Amino acid sequence: MTEDQKKEMKIFAYTHWRVCKELDTDTGIRDIEALKNVVTMPGGGSLTCLLGQKLTNKKDLYSQIGWLVYYTLEGEPLNSKNKATIVLAISWILEHYNIDYDLEQIGDYIENLDIMNKGNADISAWFSKELE
Amino acid sequence: MRRKIIRVGSSRGVLIPSPVTQAMGWEFGSLTELTVDQENNRLILETHQVEVPDELDEGQLTEISSLAEENKNLLEEIND
Repeated sequence: MTEDQKKEMKIFAYTHWRVCKELDTDTGIRDIEALKNVVTMPGGGSLTCLLGQKLTNKKDLYSQIGWLVYYTLEGEPLNSKNKATIVLAISWILEHYNIDYDLEQIGDYIENLDIMNKGNADISAWFSKELE
Repeated sequence: MRRKIIRVGSSRGVLIPSPVTQAMGWEFGSLTELTVDQENNRLILETHQVEVPDELDEGQLTEISSLAEENKNLLEEIND
């Protein structure tokens, strides 16, 4: 793993811990390999948006968000609150990029997302459409 | 505040009154740090401090923390 990926895992784990602390639920990593998948994009890429790095275009940003959502839901790396953790992580990312968003809408979308029928590209497309 | 040392199984223990745990923000499972100060014949019990790893940006973690507080109700409603 790259140093960036290790940092991204720590930030995501912190986000999870923060959600659990707020909601008084079980914290912890259920599956470390699944968590590695969340921060490992094809071609040696990773979720640099979680590090606060400014991506040069929104397409790359939504591509990373789609990846984050899909592989967290698919692998369920956390002991609890996988969906709420994604929502909190995305809210930080969008705040960082100064992008207007409706967190309730994002929460509804992620809560009802059927990953048997939607892949990471579909999820990226949804964010791209809704946040433009 | 005086407290007696009591037997807890084969160990010795001191019960912590609830006003103290409330004041310290301690709950069941909270991590504490126990330090023996032999020179002054005292024992120090304090909240275990977690250090942020150097490579992480503390400002970012604070922002995430604030967003968690602000959106608590919304996060709570998400069925996981």
